[in-house]
Amino acid sequence: MKRASFNLGLKGTSASSALAIAAALMLIPANLLPVLTTDTSGPERDDTILSGALELWRQGLGAIALIVITASIVIPILKLVGLGWIILSVRGGPPRNPQRMTRIYVAIEFIGRWSMLDVFLAAFLTGLVRFGALATVEARSGIVAFAAAVILTVLATQAFDPRALWVGSAEPKPSPFR
Amino acid sequence: MPPAFFLQFIGAGKLGAERVSTLLTGVGVLWDDGMRALAVLVLLCGALLPALLLGAMAVLHAPQRFERWIASPALLAAAARSLELGAIPEVQVLAVLVALLKLGSLVNVTIGPGFWFYCAMTFCLILAECLFDSQPSQERPRAPAQAGPP
Repeated sequence: MKRASFNLGLKGTSASSALAIAAALMLIPANLLPVLTTDTSGPERDDTILSGALELWRQGLGAIALIVITASIVIPILKLVGLGWIILSVRGGPPRNPQRMTRIYVAIEFIGRWSMLDVFLAAFLTGLVRFGALATVEARSGIVAFAAAVILTVLATQAFDPRALWVGSAEPKPSPFR
Repeated sequence: MPPAFFLQFIGAGKLGAERVSTLLTGVGVLWDDGMRALAVLVLLCGALLPALLLGAMAVLHAPQRFERWIASPALLAAAARSLELGAIPEVQVLAVLVALLKLGSLVNVTIGPGFWFYCAMTFCLILAECLFDSQPSQERPRAPAQAGPP
């Protein structure tokens, strides 16, 4: 009976694993391709997520640069690493510390939304800075890849059933969300 | 919500040229530029889903005399929980603040009333989410009815 329910937990991680791998793959073009093109009466400037944040740093906006780097680079990577860890811990047998894993899962679910910062930023700048030859900001393909990575990560988190962390565990199962 | 959606959100000026944007201007520009999936995503997460979530929570907490109009409160509560995933106006507010600081050296920016209404809506939504109880109001314990005259 215990073995059967553990197999059910494994089956539940398959979709989550596939989506997490797809999200990780999408993060590559998201970070390599430009996300914004800025034209301010001079040469056009293409920015990737990282170069845009570094430019903010150079302009003396260090705190803003840190927010952008955290939301757009650190959080997506942390989410995928955390999700990978949780999935591997379930696949390797009943997790040794399901309570800790459940906390990690809840944290991943909570921080995920902040990754959308760069998508909103690009949409807002694109809509506002339209001054013809004077100044124009355009969204580029990198932001589409980034949005896809964020959505895939959210779907991967939702596809994972946190009850799988408690299958076969000797500890009593608490309510993880309250 | 309507003022947040339709009033001036942010204004920008450069060398005499002025541009006024509402909440949905960026969505329209992305759509016109061919990035339609991105436009739909921004529209959903920044405007439609927060509006739907607020509506769902308002209906779930409607006074008892309106409860007979709600077909399935349990389904509505589950829908509200799902909407919470995609309704992220607080991230949009942070993005606008980051953009304002970023644009400071490029153009002159003015904050319009739409942005303040949107901030107020976001604050109300976060507060409502914190207080939200997914238990449908029909299932909440009621005070026993007072015994009337026979």
